[in-house]
Amino acid sequence: MDWHQLDLSPRITAAVRRAKLKCVQDVLCVSGLDLQRLTGLSRSDVQQLITAAATACRPHPPVPALLLHRGECRRLESGLRLSVGCPVLDELLRGGLPVGGVTELSGESGAGKTQLALQLCLSVQYPTQHGGLNSGAVYICTEDVFPSSRLQQLISDQSCLRSDVPPTLISRLQFSDHVYIEHTADLESLQVCLSRRVPLLLARGAVRLLVVDSVAALFRCEFQASDWLERTKQLLSFSSTLHHLSQEFNTPVLCINQRRHRDPPNPGRQEAPPLSSNVSPALGLAWANQVMVRLMMRRLQETVARGNQRSALRRLEVVFAPHLARDGRDAAVWREGVRGLTGSECTDVQH
Amino acid sequence: MRPVSSLSLSPSVKVRLVSAGFRFTSDLRGLKPLQLSKEASLSQPEALEVLQTVRRVVGGDEGGGGASASLTALELLQKEEEELRSIVTFSSQLDAALGGGLPVGKTIEICGAPGVGKTQLCLQLAVDVQVPSCFGGVGGQMVYIDTEGSFLLQRVVDIATAGVRHCSLLAEDDEQRVAMETFTVETILSNMFLVRCHDYVELLAELHLLPGFLSAHPRVRLLVIDSVAFVFRRLFDDLSQRTRLLNDLAQQLIAMATRHKMAVVITNQMTTRLRGGQSQLVPALGESWGHAPAIRLLLHWVGPQRMAAIFKSPAHMDSTIQYQITSEGFRDANQCEQPQSKRPRRHTNQPAASQRVTSC
Repeated sequence: MDWHQLDLSPRITAAVRRAKLKCVQDVLCVSGLDLQRLTGLSRSDVQQLITAAATACRPHPPVPALLLHRGECRRLESGLRLSVGCPVLDELLRGGLPVGGVTELSGESGAGKTQLALQLCLSVQYPTQHGGLNSGAVYICTEDVFPSSRLQQLISDQSCLRSDVPPTLISRLQFSDHVYIEHTADLESLQVCLSRRVPLLLARGAVRLLVVDSVAALFRCEFQASDWLERTKQLLSFSSTLHHLSQEFNTPVLCINQRRHRDPPNPGRQEAPPLSSNVSPALGLAWANQVMVRLMMRRLQETVARGNQRSALRRLEVVFAPHLARDGRDAAVWREGVRGLTGSECTDVQH
Repeated sequence: MRPVSSLSLSPSVKVRLVSAGFRFTSDLRGLKPLQLSKEASLSQPEALEVLQTVRRVVGGDEGGGGASASLTALELLQKEEEELRSIVTFSSQLDAALGGGLPVGKTIEICGAPGVGKTQLCLQLAVDVQVPSCFGGVGGQMVYIDTEGSFLLQRVVDIATAGVRHCSLLAEDDEQRVAMETFTVETILSNMFLVRCHDYVELLAELHLLPGFLSAHPRVRLLVIDSVAFVFRRLFDDLSQRTRLLNDLAQQLIAMATRHKMAVVITNQMTTRLRGGQSQLVPALGESWGHAPAIRLLLHWVGPQRMAAIFKSPAHMDSTIQYQITSEGFRDANQCEQPQSKRPRRHTNQPAASQRVTSC
């Protein structure tokens, strides 16, 4: 933003130019006395300058929450949720993923994390009255090759999963045209992807869901244990990029994370909330501070059967979220996708 | 009469004034700008500003009620009793630990690991501050600065609904029933002002403009910033600049809390510190930030239990209480049936506070 756009007298603007202050933001980061010294302006002039700069940096005044409640302020609360595509799991998540904010899904391998992520890539394409966001998804793979055959299978069985949606609508949607796949093998290419290609897709409205599968892979393999300071720095810069994208484009961001076995109990650490098992998501506290909703998927010992299909029993749990209670639902992965159990399936224990 | 060096003028001006022999404000009285600019070799606008400052300061002193007028401790105590009532929370244990609720006019920091309930407590306080005065509340408005995007309306409506239900069960006399007519979810939401700040510059800008907003809304009794750490912990290469900005921010918050008689609640993240080969969880943002808030509340896990510990406060004993986050909000851990106790008040000159909100 340029100086002459501010509501200031030319005398003050000229003094600011002389002082070689680069941008409006700099004014707020320098103390008042320093500004007086740098610009040679009087105290009241400096006050005017700071107020003008602050007004320019803060576009919107405080809004009563009632306006959000009535849906009159879409900028702050769109009221949208991205449905998972299964009523049982949507009920657990109170409608689905929040559209602004980073959601983390962690779990051991084989728990069904990728299955759920693929399902979200499809459900985002439905119109909003069917829980979607009427747009595509971008899927960033850092670990494995994108499971495209499984995606095709999910697409062909959509009508079985989404019996609530008219079949004519499902047949009209070109699902596979709207899933953009990126493979990034190192941190550098991930940064390039997130800072150039993804914003472009989001700005065009081509996508409205960002999936990173998985965050832990790159950060775990590229850094030695002794580089933890550099790792934390990179991790913060990565997470702030995600946060920025999510806020700016009002887009849900789903990060898949691995799990690690928790360190032996140490009385000085009370970081991790108690869970039903002795594992916790990877990447530690620095990453956890950046996550808004933390979900966890576990694979249980039992298997469930439905017709001629069998599946290992899974459990999707809410670890923390500002709007959700700590709770969980049993689920299973069928041919058509991940579904919460309703009780019509039969469970048998197999070890 | 004040020494010139104590005026809020730029240092170079002060040096020139003192070296020209003007040591007290009385020396400057009756001077014309032109005269002063010649005698102290100041530019004319500078001289004018000096004289205006002096006039303002002297005028304030003669008026008797100036900002610098000193008070005795007894007067302060009476003033606090009259004006600064605490914000009662819906957790009687937390109220007791804080000596009757969250003190208005102070800055309070809430720190804790992710998921322990910092945001929940903030949202709860946003409702608590609006409890009508006949229920022992403050009946004020509040400003919520959300930097993490975690102000989710769904949850606010939950907590507000539970708060309204709780108070409607407590309503006994006519005054309280009348108050309940205006204490609804809708009014609670209309008295919450939300701002989203995405980076630290926006936060600084917002805080700079907030005094103007507060003057226009004199009923604001609570400011919540959730969280300071989220914006100040990333993309800062120059840590000394961060420390300086945080110090400025702390000063601003304390000044606002005192001037506008409101509680300022800020949340902070935790970080790991290595000491002697052992890792330890400590609040983030460094050592000097720790001096900023008047009260620090640490939320943490002990096994499956959530605990809140007061670990810095000039007025309260160090204590630890248990709490839980229910669907209704931040509540006491053991929901035993406590009789509605009338909270004893040392000076019973408040007939309105006949019944205070307690957790049931």
